[in-house]
Amino acid sequence: MELSFTQGRWNYESWGGFDPISSSNAKPPGVELWAVFDVPQHHIDASWKNLTHTLSGLFCASINFLESTATYSTPEWSFPPASGNVRYGTLPCEAVCTENLTPWLKLLPCRDKAGIALLLDRPSLYRGFYHSQRGRCVLAKSSSVYLLLDRGLVAELKFPNKENGKSAANGLTSENFWSNPSFELSVNPDRIFLEESSSHSKSLSILYMFQVEKYSESEPFDIGLMWKVPVAWLCQQTPLHASRFLMGSGNERGAIAISLKSTQFTEGFMSANSKDGSCELRVDVFQVVPWYVKVYFHSLRVFVDQQPRAVSDFIEKIHVSPSKDKMSPGVMEVVLKLPCRVNTAALTIEFDKGFLRIDEYPPDANQGFDIPSAIISFPNFHASMVFLEDDSLNRSPLLSKFQEKCPVMSYTEVLLVPLTTPDFSMPYNVITIKCTVFALYFGSLLNVLQRRVAEEERFLKAKAAKKTGRLPLLLSKLSAKLRGSGINQD
Amino acid sequence: METFINPKSLFHLLLLPCLLLYSSIAYNSSPVEAAMHTNNWAVLVCTSRFWFNYRHMANTLSLYRTVKRLGIPDERIILMLADDMACNTRNKYPAQVFNNENHRLNLYGDNVEVDYRGYEVTVENFLRVLTGRHETAVPRSKRLLSDEGSHILLYMTGHGGDEFLKFQDSEELQSHDLADAVKQMKEKHRFKELLIMVDTCQAATLFNQSPGVLAIGSSMKGENSYSHHLDSDVGVSVVDRFTYYTLAFFERLNIYDNASLSSLFSSYNPSLLMSTAYYRKDLYKRRLEEVPVTNFFGSVMETIHTDAAYKALSRRNSGRFEDEMSLDQSVHHIKRRMLIKVNDGDEIHDINPELLQGEEGASKCPWSTFRKKFQKAENVDSLLNYGLVAMIPLLVISTWLVQ
Repeated sequence: MELSFTQGRWNYESWGGFDPISSSNAKPPGVELWAVFDVPQHHIDASWKNLTHTLSGLFCASINFLESTATYSTPEWSFPPASGNVRYGTLPCEAVCTENLTPWLKLLPCRDKAGIALLLDRPSLYRGFYHSQRGRCVLAKSSSVYLLLDRGLVAELKFPNKENGKSAANGLTSENFWSNPSFELSVNPDRIFLEESSSHSKSLSILYMFQVEKYSESEPFDIGLMWKVPVAWLCQQTPLHASRFLMGSGNERGAIAISLKSTQFTEGFMSANSKDGSCELRVDVFQVVPWYVKVYFHSLRVFVDQQPRAVSDFIEKIHVSPSKDKMSPGVMEVVLKLPCRVNTAALTIEFDKGFLRIDEYPPDANQGFDIPSAIISFPNFHASMVFLEDDSLNRSPLLSKFQEKCPVMSYTEVLLVPLTTPDFSMPYNVITIKCTVFALYFGSLLNVLQRRVAEEERFLKAKAAKKTGRLPLLLSKLSAKLRGSGINQD
Repeated sequence: METFINPKSLFHLLLLPCLLLYSSIAYNSSPVEAAMHTNNWAVLVCTSRFWFNYRHMANTLSLYRTVKRLGIPDERIILMLADDMACNTRNKYPAQVFNNENHRLNLYGDNVEVDYRGYEVTVENFLRVLTGRHETAVPRSKRLLSDEGSHILLYMTGHGGDEFLKFQDSEELQSHDLADAVKQMKEKHRFKELLIMVDTCQAATLFNQSPGVLAIGSSMKGENSYSHHLDSDVGVSVVDRFTYYTLAFFERLNIYDNASLSSLFSSYNPSLLMSTAYYRKDLYKRRLEEVPVTNFFGSVMETIHTDAAYKALSRRNSGRFEDEMSLDQSVHHIKRRMLIKVNDGDEIHDINPELLQGEEGASKCPWSTFRKKFQKAENVDSLLNYGLVAMIPLLVISTWLVQ
């Protein structure tokens, strides 16, 4: 089971998408939950419901909204292990705040009073562009801080483009590493790990490890990195940069477009694999669309290098589960095979906007409705880093995590779809107007039928005649005047 | 003979069910009075959405902070916030909510736990929390697990009007719905005492149908409640007047003070509030000067030291057991702060003088024991049972006489 809370969007262009950190840790905004169940098929729904409710109580978030059939789905290929027991749900517009962090901290033995968790200053945490917390904790015996020098950075440092002719290659891995010309570290690392080999890149990343327990109150652990010369580098990116947007206008119909653009990586990849012209890049697209965005799967079109092409040329497999109104979302899983030299590719699909009942609208319906992120994965490539380690007994969990073979994944943006919203004050207005009309009608009808004006006047006169004092007489005159019927004075 | 029998026997026949009815009513009400105050709960509800209603969120969080500071743990607080202000993108100070221009207090803190968030704050969920009718899957942290010994503080804030409170700009809670829920809670013994605090426009109309509870509202019918001041840095009003003055009262207190509810209620100045804070205590039996604020706003309990571990006895027996123990202790712990005594303290109060007279007094005179039993509130039901049993021979004799 994996649950993640994310605020912000991972910027694949600047922060890369190929290393394990961005591939398996960059998550879509909001809450994402996926779970693999070990129970018989007919119990899965009930278990999912219990799971979402329990998690919502535990992590102070509205995860229980995932239990309604409008937001969960069962992917087939995109999630390893591929079986029928996987449930996936996401809430794109869920706010992530301190109350979601509190339960995580309560799971730690010292909460946020000691250890690395001390660094979690709430205001600065939530001020950043992107932060994410994910549920898969391994209790470690010791704490270490790792500083990862990305492959691109290492390449840049080794072969600098600037006028620094001196090669700093040896400086990074030798003993006096901190005196290399590009940057300076305030603390020397305890261990240095080198990546073994990478099939997709010329340079290898370097990992510095700092063990926290060697430091104490008297010599606090304060790591700082100072750049001596400005260094700019490009993080390794996913083979194709994926983005998604809406097309069309109006409140009736529109279209979703997923566009894939080649990045610098593809050029490098092509040059490496240009043995024959028949190399293919496999792209998996997994998209869940809520039921009120009614997608027409027959209108799926593929554009390769800005030319419309036949769908069967490029789509190897497609698995579609159409949405049922108010019951389940529409799920689309597509396996595309694109030529390696592709420049751009796009998938477009048209939809109609559905009609909601008045009680199905959220309180702020004018904001719009969300279509969750689509998942684009490249199963041919594995984002993993294998580091040379001396003692395999003391394997740190982070390095083991880095070595896991998981396909390169990226999430697209969340789309905001404005649906037609009614005038929410109309039911109240209708009820008020109708009741007024009824009251006027029946009131006047009863008045006409029952009220005898002459008798009323005689009654009032008799009452006035009975009154002896001056004050009651005045009062009765006043009340009669107010009531509208005149009183005759003698 | 038949004409003689019928009216009188009918009369006697009617008398018996009436007695039974009366005794059953009395029996039903007596366990509630006899329950000890064991725990405190707080249900804090903010019903407004959107950034310009920042002050309602700040109101609720101020109360949350106060209540936590004075001792109620997170497990016994149900916090319902209809929108997210702290991590809202419009908030210049992320993860911080202030209720004052000087930004002295960050109400959001580090440890906040929100039970119902965003779209989950609906009238249906609110009433479910109060009455305790949830679906089976709802987790415990979202339920109000109070029992007959609980004091509950219910605080609601938002936009309201004559006999209603607006939830999230799309639905409303009416005063008769609230009264219905409170009545259900009363019948299910979900609380011992309930304090409703409402900070909206025309707040007093919201609880005018809820019987038997202590309630205070920030304004009366026809009056509006106003916000206190505008924070030009955050950009919106940050707190309402009623809650501001409530907080000013509580910030002076800590967990050991024994301010009473009457001092809280009299601290509201109508000219400063620009409305009349109206409270009702018509069906509340105790005098407000005797009730400490920590009865509702905090969680201060009297702990009774026992020398030996006690077995699991029935409630009445355990009360007597503790009394025997406290007899030994009362010699040593004579100085006790008067106001901290809650209901169980009242019992000890009553019992102590008798026991100090000497335990021999209890067994000597049966009439005096009968009188003492009569004075004790918790034995009313047993007395009624005796009375009923005594009535039966009277009934038999009278019917025999008639015949």
